[in-house]
Amino acid sequence: MHIPDGFLDPITSLSLYVITLIVVIYSAKRYFSGDKGDISYLSVIAAAIFAAQMLNWPIPGGTSAHLVAGALAAMLIGPFGGCLAMFMNLVVQCLLMGDGGITALGANAFNMAIVDVFVGYAIYKLVLKALGKQRRMIAAFLGGWIGIGLAATVCGLEIGLSPLFGYPVAITVPVMASWHLALGVIEGIVTAFVVGYLAKRSPNLLWG
Amino acid sequence: MSRKALILILVLVLVSPLFGVIGSEIVGYHEPLDVAAELIGLSESEPVWQGVLPDYTVPGLPDVIGYVIAGFVGVGILLLPAILRGKELGERS
Repeated sequence: MHIPDGFLDPITSLSLYVITLIVVIYSAKRYFSGDKGDISYLSVIAAAIFAAQMLNWPIPGGTSAHLVAGALAAMLIGPFGGCLAMFMNLVVQCLLMGDGGITALGANAFNMAIVDVFVGYAIYKLVLKALGKQRRMIAAFLGGWIGIGLAATVCGLEIGLSPLFGYPVAITVPVMASWHLALGVIEGIVTAFVVGYLAKRSPNLLWG
Repeated sequence: MSRKALILILVLVLVSPLFGVIGSEIVGYHEPLDVAAELIGLSESEPVWQGVLPDYTVPGLPDVIGYVIAGFVGVGILLLPAILRGKELGERS
């Protein structure tokens, strides 16, 4: 889902940089002003996400998928911490590995550090409230799955609306959304198992 | 938690070439958005920034070793705030 250079027009690219930076700065304020704001724990989560994203699961046909884990990060360190951890991860991936274009870093962070994190977490909390804590794994599955599906949908919107990209929104959105909603089931399952395991073994490591 | 988390990260990086390099070669993996770019003729636009370790490789080293080294460099940078702070990694205040 990492958008390379050359896909987005300058206005889209710049607007998403500005929006993303505002949300990241606000998230930093909120995370570190809270009781549980901890730079060490944030670093470990960011590093773990980076390592987990290196595991591309090859899929016959010439493609692959890997965890994004934005919603999972939020379930562990809260939405503001999750946003920061994902942003740190995306900056390192972009600057160090050239993974995701530098002109698209704002957009990539908007999709994976904001949409996936905040929407995934909101769904998790809503389902948790509706079904109760006994159904925590279902809530985590839905948060992880829908979070990634929506992040991919927004990614499809961005590249489809950009005049530099050759396909319109009517194509990019269904392709990105359906593909990531299908593969996102794996993301949902991994999210559910990690949250389910921690709820049993170390519930203090879950947020809220 | 801290030791377990660090061991998990270590294991993930060490096994990552099985997925990210060897498995990718078996299925002929290409980044989907790069394939899309090629289809519509965007492939000629070079990346503005290629990265210090482009595509998780270390120039001159085999891909598997480069992938692991790139992984450790990335993980090391992300753990830097915790290391500099001198606190036990992963410890929650």
